[in-house]
Amino acid sequence: MSAELSIRNLTAGYGAQVVLRDLSLEITEGTLAALIGPNGHGKTTLLRAISGLVPITAGQITLAGTRIDPLRPDAIVASGIVHVPQGDLLFPDMTVLENLRMGSYLPAAARLEKQRLEEVFSLLPKLRDRQQQTASTLSGGERRMVGIGRGLMTSGRILMLDEPSLGLAPIIIDQIYDVIDTLRGSGRTVILVEENAMRAADIADEVHLLDHGSIAWHGKGSEMSGRPELLETYLGS
Amino acid sequence: MDTILQILASGLTLGAMYAISTAGLALVFGAMNMLNMSHGAILALGGYLSYFAVGGMGLPAPVGVVFAVLVCAAVGVLIYQIVARPMLRSANFETRIFIATIGVGVILESIILETFGPQPKPQPVSMPGSLTLAGVHLPYQNLMILGIAMLLMAALGFALQKTRIGRAIRATAQNRDAAQLMGVPIGYVYALVLAISGGLAAVSGITISSLSSLLPNMGADPMLKAFIICVVAGLGSLPGSVMAALFIGVLEAIVQYVFGVRFSFALLLILVIIVLIGRPQGVFGRVQGVRL
Repeated sequence: MSAELSIRNLTAGYGAQVVLRDLSLEITEGTLAALIGPNGHGKTTLLRAISGLVPITAGQITLAGTRIDPLRPDAIVASGIVHVPQGDLLFPDMTVLENLRMGSYLPAAARLEKQRLEEVFSLLPKLRDRQQQTASTLSGGERRMVGIGRGLMTSGRILMLDEPSLGLAPIIIDQIYDVIDTLRGSGRTVILVEENAMRAADIADEVHLLDHGSIAWHGKGSEMSGRPELLETYLGS
Repeated sequence: MDTILQILASGLTLGAMYAISTAGLALVFGAMNMLNMSHGAILALGGYLSYFAVGGMGLPAPVGVVFAVLVCAAVGVLIYQIVARPMLRSANFETRIFIATIGVGVILESIILETFGPQPKPQPVSMPGSLTLAGVHLPYQNLMILGIAMLLMAALGFALQKTRIGRAIRATAQNRDAAQLMGVPIGYVYALVLAISGGLAAVSGITISSLSSLLPNMGADPMLKAFIICVVAGLGSLPGSVMAALFIGVLEAIVQYVFGVRFSFALLLILVIIVLIGRPQGVFGRVQGVRL
């Protein structure tokens, strides 16, 4: 298996505040990779750097051998990396359907819009009933589902989910994780950022532990449970 | 009854003119949080360009209008490229662009003053004649302004709701980061929005000067009113701005008839104060969350 997304010696941050230091990371095609680590150590910043929303000061990011870090955010999306951001970031005054259709904004995705809409509705049936509802009036769980559904409407080969379970009720979290689990077989590569390390390790093929802006440990999801010291050292649990 | 209809008719014409200039301002603010203080100068430029093309070059009126609209749209794009783009990612973009566009407005106004002189000029693009309907005197020019405003607002509304680029503009306005993550090229959206705003300002300048006359600083008053309308409607709300523009136009016509012209502006400001006390986000505005 080849590395689809490869990050080498990445340094990035907000102005003078460096968040990611000399970070290297490889994601294998078709796998579900979890990115775990304590709050404020750069998980979200890493995703934002990959999608071009945070400028990088050193290092490079390559997708299937092609450098993407010099590209603008919209060109990075077109190249196949789709970021489902933390806190949903829906378009509040648009309906659920309009939000989903923004996912297929790019021509490559627009051609498959009808088909993908059916796929999203069968995966997230609740959205079919809520199609005409304005996004700002949805519940937290519904908003999260729209965010994930909007990501699935794209033609992205890599789907980056930033804390999809954050702030949701346990029963909704289970539903979201069921959906993530079905993505594994879809041929897409999934990068899952998760606060709850054990939950992520359970579902992921590979786990990358982010600490102080670089990768402190990586290994199979199953290895994680045999290494309680990792949790104690880095996650304080 | 006739008087009431007459007031309503002139109020709606006034409101229609306000709507055209307000829509451009609201669109730019909604899409990119940019208060374009050069809007009034672009409006005057549009009026003068049509004067130059039709009065000076002898071109037909529609050609003159199109010429003015295109040049003002190009000015909008230039403002994006030269002024807005370099500071887009900086902190306090809102404050910086506010001050920078005041400078742009001064430059444009000085160019107009230098080129055409300080004396008032007549706007050649206008339609003489009038009709009297149920005792109400309706100049063709006013009817045309009303018609053009309706047409432009409907076209703008349709484009925003139904077209692909319209969806991109709305998405950018509602959440810039999310729009980028969907593949929307926001630089292009911003340039386009400023171009549309510039074109609308040109139409606004031509219509306003056709009812009075051309002066280099003629844009100041309509721009101030456009700001007032934007604030009353809620900054960035386009349908709200159009409704507020018509409402304020009619209100102004009523106030002018009942109390006299000198009170109209003071009463508008009182209205703004009342609205801002009751609904700080504007009548149609939404409370904005904290931007991270």
